[in-house]
Amino acid sequence: MKNSLTCREATRLLLEDEDRELTTSERLELQVHVKICFACQRFVAQLNLMRRATRAWRKHSDGDSET
Amino acid sequence: MSDFANQVERLRPQLLRFARTQLRNDAWAEDAVSETVLAALERPGSFTGQSHLKTWLVGILKHKVVDQLRRHTREATVLMGEDDEDFDEALFQADGHWRDMPRDWGDPDAACSQRQFFEVLQACCEGLPPVQARVFMMREWLELEADEICSELEITSSNLWVLLHRARLRLRDCLQVRWFDSAVTR
Repeated sequence: MKNSLTCREATRLLLEDEDRELTTSERLELQVHVKICFACQRFVAQLNLMRRATRAWRKHSDGDSET
Repeated sequence: MSDFANQVERLRPQLLRFARTQLRNDAWAEDAVSETVLAALERPGSFTGQSHLKTWLVGILKHKVVDQLRRHTREATVLMGEDDEDFDEALFQADGHWRDMPRDWGDPDAACSQRQFFEVLQACCEGLPPVQARVFMMREWLELEADEICSELEITSSNLWVLLHRARLRLRDCLQVRWFDSAVTR
């Protein structure tokens, strides 16, 4: 059986997931890793916050606010 | 100057700031903003007043920014090796584990509801190495697809992923230091 992902590899896939479609097997490996890795769960939460924040920032700077 | 021209002129500094963050080159940013202002003044009738003037101008600016990048493709990407080879090394041990446990950033709404948070985010983007900043802004602010960015900048998709990967990790690091770590003093 293939070795499971390291945190470093999982992080790379999590970041690439923002910009490309992961393959089915990449996604599965990633899900398994994140399920058992508390540190990477934290990283996922950070990425979610960054995604939310950039979206909100884009709206903010596109002029939704008056400043 | 007409009232419309006055209003447009007043927004110029804000437009310039966005263009600068995006292009990381003052001359290109000035050009993109001037072209935007010119386009606005030439067709004031196309501003219907249904959106904010700023929203309308930013819409034009986005196209002008892409035009600038297209015009300067070569210079825009010549710095591929700009970054220290491996930001990852600082984050992970040799066996691939995190050196430091990623911190709990708490509730996203709490951060996103604060105006200063966006100031920090923008400052962190401005602090990125220029090519990383460009690709990150093209992706997140211009909302271009990865393949569009690759063709505009004439880079491969694996180059693009590496750049975006580094940009996102750097931003994360910057937000940690400049926002979350300083939460106690705020």
